[in-house]
Amino acid sequence: MTLKRSLLVLAVVAVLAVLPYLVSESMTNAAIQMLIAALFASAFSLLCGQAGMLSFGHAAYFGLGSFAAVHAMNAFNGEGLLPTPLIPLAGAGIGLLAGIGAGWFSTKRAGVYFAMITLALAELLHALAPHLKDTFGGEAGISSFRMAAWGFDFGSTIQVYYLVLAWVVGSILLLYLLTLTPFGRLTLGLRENTHRLRFLGYNTHALGTAVFTISAMFAGIAGSLQAVNIEAANYVVFDAGISTTVVLNSFIGGVGTFFGPAIGAAVMTFFGHVTSDMTRTWLLYQGLIFVLVMMFLPRGIVGEAAEWLKNRKSRHLAIGPLFFRLAGLVLIAFGAIAAIELAQRFFSSDYKATVSLGNWPPVTFLGREWLPFAATTWIVPLALLGAGVALTLIVNRHTAKAAGEA
Amino acid sequence: MTFNAFLRAGVACATIALAGAAAAEPLKIALVETLSGPQASTGLLYRTAVQYQIGKINAAGGFNGEKIALVEYDNQGGPVGAADRVKAAIADGAQIILQGSSSAVAGQITEDVRKFNLRNKGKEVLYLNLGAEALELTGAKCHFYHFRFSPNAAIRFKTVALGMKGKGILGTRAYAIDQNYSWGVDVENTVVANAKEIGYEVVDKTLHEVNKIQDFSPYVAKIQAANVDTVFTGNWSNDLLLLMKAASGAGLKARFATAFLDQPGNIGNAGAIAEGHVVSTPFNPEANGDATRVFAEDYKAVTGHYPAYVEPAAVFGLMLFGEALKDVKLDGGKIDTTKIALSIEKATVKTPMGDYSMRSDDHQAQFPMVVQTVSKEAKVKADGTEFGFLPIKSFTGAESIDPVQSTCSMQRPG
Amino acid sequence: MDQILFALLNGAIYGLLLFMVSAGLTLIFGMMGVLNFAHASFYMLGAYLAYTLQPLTGFWLAIILAPLIVAGLGILVERVILRRVHAYGHAHELLVTFGLSVVIAEIIKIFYGNFPVEYRVPAELQFSAFEIGGGSYPFYRLFMGGVALMMFALLYLMLTRTRIGIVVRSAIYRPRMVEALGHNVPMVFMGVFGVGAFLAGLAGAVAGAFYTTNPNMALELGVMVFVVVVVGGLGSLGGAMIASLLIGVVTSLAVGVKVSIASLLDFIGLGDLARDVGGIFVLELSSVAATLPFFLMLLVLLARPSGLLGEKE
Repeated sequence: MTLKRSLLVLAVVAVLAVLPYLVSESMTNAAIQMLIAALFASAFSLLCGQAGMLSFGHAAYFGLGSFAAVHAMNAFNGEGLLPTPLIPLAGAGIGLLAGIGAGWFSTKRAGVYFAMITLALAELLHALAPHLKDTFGGEAGISSFRMAAWGFDFGSTIQVYYLVLAWVVGSILLLYLLTLTPFGRLTLGLRENTHRLRFLGYNTHALGTAVFTISAMFAGIAGSLQAVNIEAANYVVFDAGISTTVVLNSFIGGVGTFFGPAIGAAVMTFFGHVTSDMTRTWLLYQGLIFVLVMMFLPRGIVGEAAEWLKNRKSRHLAIGPLFFRLAGLVLIAFGAIAAIELAQRFFSSDYKATVSLGNWPPVTFLGREWLPFAATTWIVPLALLGAGVALTLIVNRHTAKAAGEA
Repeated sequence: MTFNAFLRAGVACATIALAGAAAAEPLKIALVETLSGPQASTGLLYRTAVQYQIGKINAAGGFNGEKIALVEYDNQGGPVGAADRVKAAIADGAQIILQGSSSAVAGQITEDVRKFNLRNKGKEVLYLNLGAEALELTGAKCHFYHFRFSPNAAIRFKTVALGMKGKGILGTRAYAIDQNYSWGVDVENTVVANAKEIGYEVVDKTLHEVNKIQDFSPYVAKIQAANVDTVFTGNWSNDLLLLMKAASGAGLKARFATAFLDQPGNIGNAGAIAEGHVVSTPFNPEANGDATRVFAEDYKAVTGHYPAYVEPAAVFGLMLFGEALKDVKLDGGKIDTTKIALSIEKATVKTPMGDYSMRSDDHQAQFPMVVQTVSKEAKVKADGTEFGFLPIKSFTGAESIDPVQSTCSMQRPG
Repeated sequence: MDQILFALLNGAIYGLLLFMVSAGLTLIFGMMGVLNFAHASFYMLGAYLAYTLQPLTGFWLAIILAPLIVAGLGILVERVILRRVHAYGHAHELLVTFGLSVVIAEIIKIFYGNFPVEYRVPAELQFSAFEIGGGSYPFYRLFMGGVALMMFALLYLMLTRTRIGIVVRSAIYRPRMVEALGHNVPMVFMGVFGVGAFLAGLAGAVAGAFYTTNPNMALELGVMVFVVVVVGGLGSLGGAMIASLLIGVVTSLAVGVKVSIASLLDFIGLGDLARDVGGIFVLELSSVAATLPFFLMLLVLLARPSGLLGEKE
């Protein structure tokens, strides 16, 4: 890590350390979710980004960590071997064990077969868990209570925040240090050229299992932090949606960089937190963002930003096109959001019901009334969209031409 | 201030501005529902019902000299999102949490509220459960700050069996097919437990996976082999529709006794297949003469559709809540949720369906139920089809309610 | 006996339906190496489009037009999105289709709402085909099975007996070689993508009327289709057929089986011990019937990862 980057990371940690005093309690709560998502994504990306194994079932280890934590909280009552601050160790332990088992099986295969095995294992767990009431508490889940320990009562959001922060920063630091070790370098070899590693005499299956295990262990820690935060675990944490969310978050951030997945997860969790209360179609926006990132920013947000910074000096005119591109993007975004939100309102069941009474009333959006058959209602969003696309195309042509001349 | 908090503050300000001069602290209610994702359909119905009735309470002057502020939170369909949103709601100052769809979410919220209240004496939060029907919520998980305003498996399946028997369509041989999770198990247990008293025999029973089965015909084959008159099922949504479609495809003659046949879209999708099947719910527009009809029309005038499915139970529950608020005199002072809770226990209200009250032992509401069958003769049609729900028998609250569960031990305040 | 026959028949027909959806998926994977997450969304689109067209065109035309539109959309997806992402690798292709499936489901919800729509089997097709086990057997089921079989026959003939089929099959094995021989491989890919989408759309249009047409139908079927494709062998049409039938029949039969691990252990006298332990040992097969496909998939992946009939690994 260069000096500049270390300073940047330290600054981020410093901001996180004083965050609860800067924002509201509900934002602190959102920050807890973001930290947990960031750790989960970092754990996932050790496997996916560095070792090149795309797992579609990481919810299994996250969920097992959650349940381990809840059972540990109930068994120890926050005393003895596992006081509340050390509860995530239980998640780490179970993640480790499950990782050894599942990792040994799944890393026997590579590529899409590996992904399918991890998916099948997680789906099996998801399907069986609600039937095993003693272990997973049926669909009501298992509830627990954070006990006081080490002089803290862990009753307030702020205390939970610091507990989570300490674990997340510590875990991500460990994951980072791991990439610096010879083992970490071998992991990259696993992604780049497995055959070569094997010919060099390494046991790639054992190596794969080890990477899988470490990844599952940290996923277990993330899961147990969630259990500590919400004081409960429910079998829905095994849902395929959790597995896919971590994949999406990591790729949006950029699996090619170490901090990309964590940043992507934090950003997308925050995005969900903010938008889900504002619009009913936030999942559509999330999906669209993902598709667009995959198409136009294949290295992910952080990956592309890093690339741009690296090449900044060699490109003299980069700022200009960047500005126009951003402007085009903003226009497209506004146009698309307006069109989607208006369509959502006109096609909603509430609106259909009022229409059946015989009139076609306007809907409100952005504090303005829009009539279903007024030309402006549809021309405004489409014009914005069109202008944005046109601007982007023009910029593209210009840069292509400039590149051609140079 | 973050953008989100800013937005919420804006909404709150607007409500206050409309209410005129702000003097006392307004009562803040948070609706923590599933408003997006695959399960959003029911959550959005609760939203409509809550907006309707809180609107009525506010039009009548609100509470404590202020309009009630209603803020919506999207729990994203699961317990984890719900836990997060409950925290956010309480942090934003909510004193009352409303929620209805999904017992799993309800289980999380009721525990979260219980724990919050343990840690924050004097700042207790109420959880008004508008529709989560798992028996456990008024059983092992019951606590003083949770109130259930909806029926449960015991109420639904006692009334449906009695109603069918009264009409002479119950028969003697019955089959229970349910989803394999607590709700389905509750239903199966109730159906089996009631058999002797009501007078039918449960020939066979099945628990199947929830929302995973595409083709119910193997199950229907089993039902057919059992040769029964009535099939009791707690299934909802797709599991109910597919079951009925498979049954009709195989020419099964048995009648279905259900809890959630009235979900919007069901009758439209099933069409004639649903004819003759039975459901027991807290409301029917024809059940109580003018009172129910007037309510149904008013609801339609405000929201655009007749009250259906989970909406009436939520509205009636909030009617009782509104009635209880009238008896809490704070004289513009600080809001005391424990007082409100105590008042809910004592209140009775006359809903369009009849007398409505809250049982203080386990906080299960007591209200009339009406057993109804899908018929062309119903005046209010469902989903724009020629079918609607025709009432066949009504039960008062006292007749409907189930005994208090022995597992509930409630710690009362003070 | 009748009951078993009934279950077999039902399982086979459900299997045929699975086949119609998975046929396109497995062909696409075989050619392009892309596991298309959005494939089940084509199934859903087919159902919704047929539902929309039905009042205008009648049922028969609707179930032909809807898949054609879906095929067009499929081609568009391949041309505009996948071809662009192709350069970034398989993981990106797979993930972009996943994002697409989310987008499609959400768009459907905007226009049609969250509840199932009123898409029903037309009255003239609602009659019983024959009596079995004391109940009647709906004709529409046979119709669905018939459509699937016809599609299988057509596809099979096309792939094995026509020139296009030869190009397609060779493009699966040696795309570069085929390209060097002067065939337009991207065009072939696009065509196969369109045919795959057509089949899924047809399955949706036909089955949506019988089952329910709702915004979750892609999600519900999607995972099962993956299982079929993996078990059958990625890229193998015949494998997909066998795996579909196998999964359809196994899940259909398992419903009636009240066997648990404990009851199996009874044979060696350990049943009671297992019952005391409880948990997984006392789960009846019938209650976990839907997990069987995943067991099957795991077994196949571990023992014979190329699938029942797959040749590539």
